[in-house]
Amino acid sequence: MRSTKGERTFYLFNYVLLTLAGILCLLPLLHLASLSLSGKNAVLSGFVSLWPQEITFESYQLLFEGTPILRSLGNSMLITVVGVALSMIVTICAAYPLARREFYGRRWISLAIVFTMLFTGGLIPTYLVVSSLGLVNNYGSLWLPALVSTYNMLIMRSFFENIPEELVEAARIDGSGEWRLLLRIVLPLSLPVLATIGLFYAVYYWNSFFNVMIYINSPEKLNLTVLIQQMVRSQSVLQEINAMDTQQVSNITPEGIKAAGIMVMILPMLVVYPLLQKYFVKGVTLGAIKG
Amino acid sequence: MKANPAKNVRLGERTASSGGERRFWHTQRFKTNRPLWLMFLPVVAFYLVFKYAPMAGLVIAFKNYTFYEGVWGSQWVGFDNFQMLFTQAQSLQIIRNTLLLSVLSVVIGFPFPIMLAIMLNEVRRKWFQKTVQTLVYLPHFFSWVIVGGLVVTIFAQSGLVNAMLERLTGQPFAFLFNEGSWVAIFLGSGIWKDAGFSAIIYLAALTSIDPSLYEAASMDGAGKWKQIRHITLPGIAPTIVIMLILAMGRVMEVGFDQVYVLQNSIVSGISEVISTYIYAIGLQGGQFSLTAALGLFESLVAFVLVLLTNAVARRFGKGLW
Repeated sequence: MRSTKGERTFYLFNYVLLTLAGILCLLPLLHLASLSLSGKNAVLSGFVSLWPQEITFESYQLLFEGTPILRSLGNSMLITVVGVALSMIVTICAAYPLARREFYGRRWISLAIVFTMLFTGGLIPTYLVVSSLGLVNNYGSLWLPALVSTYNMLIMRSFFENIPEELVEAARIDGSGEWRLLLRIVLPLSLPVLATIGLFYAVYYWNSFFNVMIYINSPEKLNLTVLIQQMVRSQSVLQEINAMDTQQVSNITPEGIKAAGIMVMILPMLVVYPLLQKYFVKGVTLGAIKG
Repeated sequence: MKANPAKNVRLGERTASSGGERRFWHTQRFKTNRPLWLMFLPVVAFYLVFKYAPMAGLVIAFKNYTFYEGVWGSQWVGFDNFQMLFTQAQSLQIIRNTLLLSVLSVVIGFPFPIMLAIMLNEVRRKWFQKTVQTLVYLPHFFSWVIVGGLVVTIFAQSGLVNAMLERLTGQPFAFLFNEGSWVAIFLGSGIWKDAGFSAIIYLAALTSIDPSLYEAASMDGAGKWKQIRHITLPGIAPTIVIMLILAMGRVMEVGFDQVYVLQNSIVSGISEVISTYIYAIGLQGGQFSLTAALGLFESLVAFVLVLLTNAVARRFGKGLW
């Protein structure tokens, strides 16, 4: 097809702007990565932009030796793995019955559940409930209140609803009970939506910040997010590092260590992200169409 | 397992002819429902304990909650907490800040995902489209702690932006310590983080537009801009309206994390919002009743806004329910 002059300018602009948008998302990460790998003199002179200067791994070395980052990394993993497992199980237990037409009270229960998306008790009453259950300073306070994200559950439900009724009927005639039907037919057919929702929950737990801050008191139970925030915000963690560095000959800066901390948080996500990208696009799309 | 179907069919036949009560307990429907309800029980417990119990707990907004007397034993005080909220200069300022930041976020942030989706949709080269999508979706998955860390590092006095600014003008600028530039950074960081991901929904809507419309318009001599205005935008209008309704529900809520990681004491006159106030005064300061009242106010306004927007949208035949 021939394109007119107007169309050609449009496409040119389009490509240029989109390239800029893509680069804009990448630049801050590159800058931080360079900071974390650069030596003291380069960082202080402000010459580190997108490429590391005087490459050194001392920031990472000090980060892992001088701060409890390994422990909080472990905590973050524990919170994420257990949290995703629990949330997935309970979310499936919510979405599957609600997707079945035979389920008694389906309509009213759906209404009652969607209502919780529109109106909430808010932070203080939720905190009182969690603390009255004795969950404070216990990872239960992170897992139990987040068992089901209603939004994720609705996405999953609409996926289950789209599984052809004939398959379900056929399985029933073959004598499958509900549990067998769910485990052998519905779930294997729903891998894209399970991957999507699993990713969403994993991101939620991995990034959890506010809940950890309000419910978890012991320093040794804190996760990576809160530790990194403390490092970025206050100097105390960094001062401890400086105190360790008695010879004062090291080649690092607070900026470099902060950047290294942020990179430690980003890297696991960068590894998983490309693998799951095709799934989450599908999942979000599905949720959007069915509402 | 193999014996079951025959039994079910036999039961079904027999119960079909017998009385009401017995028919119910033996129907296939009940047999299906028993396991379904069994698996649904934890879900009911979850919603009752963590969603509905806190709603009931909102009664402390009308009480003077003390730790020893508990939620139900505390003294009723009527609307005292609300009266205090709406007369104190501090809490009024916080409500104002919340509205200001969130309305700005919606108004300025809302068009970006739409533009991005339309632009991505016009790209013919698949590899280019995929690459840009991969990059712009990414920031959504970072926590605000990371985004805040990036922003603070880049805009700090000794950061990248100021290093370049100093080379150009010889003067650094305290971006994070000036109310105007702080709000700009707040809005910009929100767009940076979520515009890409929000575009997914519009992209999905765009694929449902009939391509023959574009061909016809092109034959009639309509340029790209005209096509976007008269075909693309009307085509995704329902999605835009739905997203707008959902955005209205969040107008009273400025996420805690975003403000918390970006704020500092110098700009607190503009950056202190309802969520950070509830955290500081309620949880840390122990004023549970006062901040529960603020939370109730926040929830109610959000609820009413969603209902109103939906009513308006329904008038145009595009309501969410």
